[in-house]
Amino acid sequence: MSSKSGNVYGLTLLCPIIDDPGAIPSHDLQIRAHLAKLSLGPDSPFAVAPGTHLARLVVLDDVIYVGAPSCEEHLNSKYLVFESNCDGDRDSYLTGLARKIPDALDAIWSHCVGYPDDGARNIPAFLQYMKRCEIETTFFFAPVNDKTRTQTLVALRNKAYIAHFIASHQGKPPAEIQRNIGALYARLKSLPDPEPAAIQVSRKMATGGRNE
Amino acid sequence: MSNINGKVYAMNVITPMKPSKTWILRLIFWVLGVWKPAQADLIQLKFIQFARWVIVPAGSFPYLGGRQRKDAMRYDYLFFFSNFNGTWNQYIDAFSAVLSDGLNKIWRWSEKFPGSVPVTPFKNYITSVQYDTDYYFSAYPQATVNDVEAAHLVNIAFESLCTTASSQTPEQFAQSYLQFVIASQSHLGATGEAPAVF
Repeated sequence: MSSKSGNVYGLTLLCPIIDDPGAIPSHDLQIRAHLAKLSLGPDSPFAVAPGTHLARLVVLDDVIYVGAPSCEEHLNSKYLVFESNCDGDRDSYLTGLARKIPDALDAIWSHCVGYPDDGARNIPAFLQYMKRCEIETTFFFAPVNDKTRTQTLVALRNKAYIAHFIASHQGKPPAEIQRNIGALYARLKSLPDPEPAAIQVSRKMATGGRNE
Repeated sequence: MSNINGKVYAMNVITPMKPSKTWILRLIFWVLGVWKPAQADLIQLKFIQFARWVIVPAGSFPYLGGRQRKDAMRYDYLFFFSNFNGTWNQYIDAFSAVLSDGLNKIWRWSEKFPGSVPVTPFKNYITSVQYDTDYYFSAYPQATVNDVEAAHLVNIAFESLCTTASSQTPEQFAQSYLQFVIASQSHLGATGEAPAVF
């Protein structure tokens, strides 16, 4: 199965967006407007729900014509592309999303064709819908594929503590380091798991155009 | 809308391919998947957190009935999604300089692909077939793939040190601690805000 690399699953969904001439604004614009306001921090739905390392949503308006001599063609539907790099397998990941963030999922996918009328709370129907939209990944590359999201968040937090410990214990007697490292080890074990996306990094330029 | 979240950039590239050529690309990806040494350059670049290529055959855009009109395309489409650290220019430059053969093997089946060298027409091509990201989430936006690998290495070494520390004499511990510091010292860099590079 190409969508899997180690313990990480590469989920790719192409969800057709409702084309309703009577909808003002159109459903694709409603999705875009909603996503533009969606949090990226610890209150992001993908931080609240388990398992997402990195995920993106893209509104695909049409395919691009690359020029002659290739043929020009266009999509009849617009699609919502969901690309997620997540722990475990597809069904357990999607079930986790449906259980934790059903309203957030409905707010996005209710603009898509075939989404269950009763939304993500109807988990069997939600899973069936998502499977119909899934495109199997042809080749998935994940250099770190044996750690869960929580394990990585814990490792990143612990590394900062350990680096500080090493810097602050230079030149100290071995017995003191030995005593204190035991205390640090116990403390790290007792800390709660870090929140995903809790550390936000600001960038002056955020569009990521080709000149950046 | 943003293609960037912290230290990660989301690239979306979609290119058309003649269906008669798609099987060759599938074969190349199959070889890449089963013969791990073929991924060595990709791994050594050390700035890709996750990447994937998805071939959508001409008649396989999801059709869910109802009011949707079915998409019957003439071309197959190659979707490329990358999550990389650094800037767009650094990424494309590195790909062109280090992986030009590999890139050509993957994209030469796409219509109008100019080749990955020289880099200027390659960048123009990628620009023309790239889509912006509407929402981009990262659970650890402050960390690069190097930071993640380093954190796991340090944690494994720390765990090993601490499980034996309590049963060691101070002299034995001093030796273990020295080895731990030597092994970890190059992985202790702080994470945080990425520098703005132009």
